[in-house]
Amino acid sequence: MTTLRPFTCDDLFKFNNINLDPLTETYGIPFYLQYLAHWPEYFIVAEAPGGELMGYIMGKAEGSVAREEWHGHVTALSVAPEFRRLGLAAKLMEMLEEISERKGGFFVDLFVRVSNQVAVNMYKRLGSTACTGRSSSITQPATENRTKTLTT
Amino acid sequence: MAARGHVQDPNDRRLRPIYDYLDNGNNKMAIQQADKLLKKHKDLHCAKVLKAIGLQRTGKQDEAFTLAQEVATLEPTDDNSLQALTILYREMHRPELVAKLYEAAVKKVPLSEEYHSHLFMAYARVGEYKKMQQAGMALYKIVPKNPYYFWSVMSLVMQAISAQDEKLAQTMFLPLAERMVEKMVKEEKIEAEAEVQLYFMILERLGKCVEALDVIRGPLGEKLTSELQSRENKCMMLYQRLQRWPECNALAHKLLLKNPDDWQFYPSYFDSLFHLIDQSWSPPEEGEHCSEGAVHHTVAEVVRFVEERIKGEDGKESRSLRGPYLARLELIHRLRERGCPEESLLGDPLELMVQFFGKFGDKPCCITDLKIYLHLLSPDQHVQFVNRLSEAVPLGERGEEGFAFPDDTKALQRHLCVCQLSRALGLHHALDVDGKLRLIAELKAHYRHGLKFGKNALKTELQFSDMYCLMAAHVYIDLWKETGDENMVWQGLGVLQEGLSHSASNAQFKLLLLLLYCHLGAFEPVVDLYSSLDAKHVQHDTIGFLLTRYAESLGQFAAASQSCNFSLRFFHSNQKDTSEYIIQAYKYGAFEKIPEFIALRNRLNQSLHFAQVRTERMLLDLFLEADIVLSLEESVKAMSLSAEEDDIPWDNMRDNRDLTVFTSWDPKERELTDEHRRQSLEEESVWLRIRSLTLRLLASLAGSGHTPSQQNSEIANENGVGDKSSILSGLLSQLNQTLQTASQIAEKRIQYPFLGPPSTRLAPALSSGSCQCQAAALQLSVHLQELDTVGLDESTELQTQICNAFKSLVVQLQEILNKCKGDLLDMKEGKLKTWPSLLENLIFFVETVCIVLWMASHCAKILRPLKTSLQKKKKKKKKDANTALPVVVCGFQELTGSLQDLLTQALEHIKGQETGITALKLASLSLDEYPQDEASFMKAAMDKVQSSYLRSLQEAGDLLKKRAETIKNLKI
Repeated sequence: MTTLRPFTCDDLFKFNNINLDPLTETYGIPFYLQYLAHWPEYFIVAEAPGGELMGYIMGKAEGSVAREEWHGHVTALSVAPEFRRLGLAAKLMEMLEEISERKGGFFVDLFVRVSNQVAVNMYKRLGSTACTGRSSSITQPATENRTKTLTT
Repeated sequence: MAARGHVQDPNDRRLRPIYDYLDNGNNKMAIQQADKLLKKHKDLHCAKVLKAIGLQRTGKQDEAFTLAQEVATLEPTDDNSLQALTILYREMHRPELVAKLYEAAVKKVPLSEEYHSHLFMAYARVGEYKKMQQAGMALYKIVPKNPYYFWSVMSLVMQAISAQDEKLAQTMFLPLAERMVEKMVKEEKIEAEAEVQLYFMILERLGKCVEALDVIRGPLGEKLTSELQSRENKCMMLYQRLQRWPECNALAHKLLLKNPDDWQFYPSYFDSLFHLIDQSWSPPEEGEHCSEGAVHHTVAEVVRFVEERIKGEDGKESRSLRGPYLARLELIHRLRERGCPEESLLGDPLELMVQFFGKFGDKPCCITDLKIYLHLLSPDQHVQFVNRLSEAVPLGERGEEGFAFPDDTKALQRHLCVCQLSRALGLHHALDVDGKLRLIAELKAHYRHGLKFGKNALKTELQFSDMYCLMAAHVYIDLWKETGDENMVWQGLGVLQEGLSHSASNAQFKLLLLLLYCHLGAFEPVVDLYSSLDAKHVQHDTIGFLLTRYAESLGQFAAASQSCNFSLRFFHSNQKDTSEYIIQAYKYGAFEKIPEFIALRNRLNQSLHFAQVRTERMLLDLFLEADIVLSLEESVKAMSLSAEEDDIPWDNMRDNRDLTVFTSWDPKERELTDEHRRQSLEEESVWLRIRSLTLRLLASLAGSGHTPSQQNSEIANENGVGDKSSILSGLLSQLNQTLQTASQIAEKRIQYPFLGPPSTRLAPALSSGSCQCQAAALQLSVHLQELDTVGLDESTELQTQICNAFKSLVVQLQEILNKCKGDLLDMKEGKLKTWPSLLENLIFFVETVCIVLWMASHCAKILRPLKTSLQKKKKKKKKDANTALPVVVCGFQELTGSLQDLLTQALEHIKGQETGITALKLASLSLDEYPQDEASFMKAAMDKVQSSYLRSLQEAGDLLKKRAETIKNLKI
């Protein structure tokens, strides 16, 4: 039982249970506003009936259309500890992939910290099972210090 | 003309090095290079602007501004200068000047799409909606592109949103916006999704739901494709507003068929059913039920639908969804609310919840799911319910201690869930002390046993059994609050420290540790705990209160300054940041986000926490530095603090605190309520008002110094003094009123849940007497002003009055100081006990002494010239042998003497405490009754508290010593 809806500014004041996780980055307000202004449909939050935020995905569209590299990018995907093991992250990924496809994206990519084994495994699992036609590629950065890292 | 189009503009080449220097932060070189260039090319305006940027960035704001205005008055039209000026004005926080710049530019180059668009954006940055509307249309006339037209439409919507007069919005701005869109619709010129979205926004705001529905369901609605289910969601919202229950019902169950886990549609589905029943709706004899298809208008149909969804989940091979199962409970809840007998069709809630637990008990969210339906059980079923659940938890053999443990993480999660539900049912709270202690032993045993499942967990992962540990701490807190036995809190701290050692990134452990240390009066350990939470940006607004509530009141001034700074830095960047993205939202056509961004900006600007840190930061700076580093007058000036100005939005204060950040499984009757939230906000506001008035009164004190030229220009000054004294008396009467409100609030002794909002300093400030003493000191300034005007000769009565006030201040200060006396930390019968309120009172004493000393210093400034002139007069009349000092001067000397005594007393007390606490041998505490590792975690917590007390004492002592130094300057 989950309500999936667009992320709004007011959610910034309620997402502590998700963001007080060591691998989830809390960005400056401008960063969120940039996504909300430019790619609002790629920013989805899951809400429980009690109003608690369960998790969210934040993404964007980028790349060259001419070179068939226009694609969706996942910037952040995070689920609060108490709402894990429900397949929520997979559901959110699925939604983002659908939106990306509607927008003509050829694939969806993301970065993940190499050390974030749980996330790496999840994406691998999703890549091999959930994504048949679509290609969901995981780009692993060479170093830990990459700024664009994805966290779950 | 624009430099961009050209391949080789010589000016570009000349300016390049300056740009590079600026980009690299080498402002000095940028200025030099610009000067060099300007010698050769006097008319290269852009070089001047770039130089101005360099000057601005090296702190020479005035020079920069003059230089920029030189160029601006020439009304430049070259791209380079315009862009550079835009950057400069933005850095100067003067966005309105950018608009002026482009207004001039479009006049000279009326057909430039680029400049018109810059002008639009410049208006957007400052929220000039009407001008935006015109600029948008002007753009559209030059280049008929749809976005420009709709920028103009959106600007009308913004005029409607920002209009004070709702009538104006409804009768003028919105209808005009609607007509503008209709025109485009008629001409079939609608192109983009954003345009339809905007049309919808306008109709919705006009309350034209029928029209909005036609748009969404019609061909225009087909453009709404970005967001998933956008059309369906909008239709649902409109059906509800229009009370079209058949459609609402039909659409809801259609969507639930598609996704039976989409929770938002269950409430709509059930609500619509009840409305249909209330209206005795029946389907038409032939044809479709409604435009959305079949309607379920009886309870039986709805029950069947929900049961079918559940069957669907039961029969699935993949993971079952929780939605349908919970929908059944939700339906029971709603039927019961209505008193519908059909509730029984769905089954017994207890059985259903047991069944739910059977299916989802191994999910961490099971507790959150079931918690909201526990009221469906009658109190006499609670124990039975828990027993039934326990039966469904597979545990191994009972061990030595009498506990049976789970064999895998799924069983662990189930067992944990039963514990959480028991707590939520109030079963933990009903236990007596021994029962609670046994419960704690069990929770700790399960916690430690469960660690074996997470042996290979990464540092960033939580342990499977962490929540047992947290719950054990909660029960310790219950015991502490119930019995007052401080050993309970030491053990609670111990178990949390132990938990943190196994699960270094558990935010809940850190938060609760932080709160407990604060309650014990120890702020030092909090600094590291909070910083390890890595709270950033907006989190400073939502959980920053945890730091700022305690840092200063517990005497850790350096940490308090730092905590305020974290928050202030965040808030100050907000204004500038948001405007940029409002502009982006126009560019990308995210129209619905524009009001949202503006609301966000307001929410942050009106934040309670923002107002608090602003005020407390200034007070803190004064306490720490005024009359020590700089004089009070200079300090007030440096803060550009003024008595007249009140920048706190009292009527629109937003409480952005996240008061549910602490995990809690407390039963409903112990949970945070809306009433608690309201009371807490009220209390915070009153305390903030006291602090803000104190600050403004100090500003007024600093601004009302003795003006020697007074007699010469009596008339001219009369107004000035009159104004000042009326402001002063206005502030004082506000302060007195607020203190009255405060004492009414304090009398209520509101108790918030332990994990809810912390109480403010208000009640202890009143009971220590510091509020009253501070107010009395500030009140004195009125009499002193009077004395300043009347002089010493004919003011015996006034002087006596002032002297009495002096005496009373000394008595009050002594009383506050008496309330600090006693041992902060003591050890009796092998037990450690803290007295944090003594520390809190000591800090109240420190703050109050500061204020009294400033008042004394102000007094000295007034008395000195009066005394001098008196002496002059006396010299003339030598015969008069009565050389006794005026009463007020004697009284003042007495005051300074007493203040000296008080400070000496306080410093001795602090010194005594420091010696006492240092000498405490925590090692000699009898912690033998605890297992060794537990004892060592408890001991570590005690060490932290001890060390923190010493630090607080030291900071308070250091400040008092500095204050004592200032008494020397009070000689007259």
